[in-house]
Amino acid sequence: MTIAPKAPRKLSMKQRYQALTRDLDWEPSYVSREEMFPYLEFEGIKIHDWSKWEDPFRLTVDAYCKYQAEKDKRLYAVLDGFAQGQGHLSLTDANYLNAMKIFLQGIAPNEYNAHRNFAYLARHLGGPGPRFAALCQSIDEMRHTQTEVHTLSNYNKYYSGFHNFSQQHDRVWYLSVPKSFFEDALSAGPFEFLIAIGFSFEYLLTNLLFVPFMSGASFNGDLPTMTFGFSAQSDESRHMTLGLEAIKFLLEQDEANVPIVQAWIDKWFWRGYRVTGLVAQMLDYMLPRKVMSWKEAFELYFEQQMMQGLFQDLAFYGITPPRHVEDAIGEKDVLSHQVYWILYQFSHAASFTTSVPNDEHLEWLSKTYPDTFDTYYKPLWDKEKRNIEAGGRHFVRGLPQLCQVCQIPMGFTEPGDPTTICQRESEYNGEKFQTCSNGCQWIFEREPEKYVQAWLPVHQIYQGNCGGPTLPDVLEWYGLQDGDNGEYVGSVDERNWKKWHAETDVNEPEGSDATTNTTA
Amino acid sequence: MAVKAITTYDFPSRSRQELYGDDQLVHVWFKDNPWFCAAACFRAPKAMTWGDFWSQLVIPFAEEDPDFDPAAARAWSLHGDAIAPRDDQTLEELGVVHKDVLATVLA
Repeated sequence: MTIAPKAPRKLSMKQRYQALTRDLDWEPSYVSREEMFPYLEFEGIKIHDWSKWEDPFRLTVDAYCKYQAEKDKRLYAVLDGFAQGQGHLSLTDANYLNAMKIFLQGIAPNEYNAHRNFAYLARHLGGPGPRFAALCQSIDEMRHTQTEVHTLSNYNKYYSGFHNFSQQHDRVWYLSVPKSFFEDALSAGPFEFLIAIGFSFEYLLTNLLFVPFMSGASFNGDLPTMTFGFSAQSDESRHMTLGLEAIKFLLEQDEANVPIVQAWIDKWFWRGYRVTGLVAQMLDYMLPRKVMSWKEAFELYFEQQMMQGLFQDLAFYGITPPRHVEDAIGEKDVLSHQVYWILYQFSHAASFTTSVPNDEHLEWLSKTYPDTFDTYYKPLWDKEKRNIEAGGRHFVRGLPQLCQVCQIPMGFTEPGDPTTICQRESEYNGEKFQTCSNGCQWIFEREPEKYVQAWLPVHQIYQGNCGGPTLPDVLEWYGLQDGDNGEYVGSVDERNWKKWHAETDVNEPEGSDATTNTTA
Repeated sequence: MAVKAITTYDFPSRSRQELYGDDQLVHVWFKDNPWFCAAACFRAPKAMTWGDFWSQLVIPFAEEDPDFDPAAARAWSLHGDAIAPRDDQTLEELGVVHKDVLATVLA
């Protein structure tokens, strides 16, 4: 009697993951390990045993593709339905989309940058586990870029400000803030990038950077963006886990890593926090239907979750809360007002529109910020209302002083004194460099060789590198079209919105006032 | 501390004075006026007189504030010290160097 050979047993998910990562790894034989991984030592980080990396999630390529395909299918079904049903008409207001313009111009291109650098980590980290985790995140980030662009492309058919986000990311002044932030990380070593983006951006600040946009979408009738948010959420939770595992791994490998990691946390907390200024003004000024104030978001997502949660855990490794965190906490009552005041005055050179908050909005701001709004900011809006009645609308007739590090116009005030602008000055190689805060000055003085290379939009305009000497020259070089910029009241978007909503049959908006774009 | 890099790390400033020829960048900070969200940045010849700097660059910028009075008495400071610029003095004579901040309040 012969016994038929048993069919080969199917590997479990865990075994398949083992085969995919560890079993495919090898030790080099004809080059040295240092030649194979040349970027692992110059930052001073010591890794003794890469096998101690605990994979925060175990995913195989086929499982990954299956999940993502299902999520994409759901997302694209929503996008189709929204487009076919003229869903854009059920937004709270056309000016809500200013928040999404900033998201598309400022964030989506940085998702692509994240894709690039995680692909680099997937090649250059020294262990198979972290390499595969970085590979998955790299693919996620690419997918986020694509889905964000596709999600918002429908609006590009009807609204201004969406048509040229990629070029604008590279050129326009306020977008140099997120761009230079991310390029600072891209030009760092692999471990600093892990702490800068994997930990500080994806873990420490992610709920302040990402969640407000998605909540804003859900409160303002933007079903596609909300669905994109859900679609990205499971990826984001993997990214957060990776960021946390990365920092713990570095801290556990060698005690000498602790001060290096601490300095990176100090730096990247402040770098990321400054970028959240754009989110702060979006929450408090750009959403027709409010989700929560910046102050509330900061208290919940940062002070409670991170200061009272995460940093209590990290204290075990000798990690302390970020340097300058007290300055950030002290700014929560003033930050959004200062950033919006800047954007309001310079929106003639931006790819979004701004407006004076209406009475109901001003009342909300007074109630939400009882200690600061009526004293410091409402008088400015009252004066601007009188200004508008007299036929003016405040756009700055010139260019502002920029912070050498965060690149935001220097409109932030001294800690504890909302009436005096904070000016810090450092000298390097006989040249003066100004920064907007203690945090940015500390970052500059730690690595001045890096920040002297900053491509500051104002200085570049004065050097003649931005299309020409006049404002129209620069705006053309920015790729702005009529309707993209300036005041919302009376803008192309507002006129169209009113016309579409005045029509009895609003099924098919047609005959918009300006040329619409079909390039996305 | 210095940048940690894989090789020599030495790059010129992207806003060094020589890139502006005979000009330089000068900031003007209206310290007591929150109407201007930040100090202004101008490109001005080093040999420009204070009178020209004030009338050709600063006034057109500051007039955007409906309450701005170009004739109002002002106190000026540079590098933390009070200065009293005369119209015929050049920026260079006043000691203004590239990227300096001239601060002013109503006197």
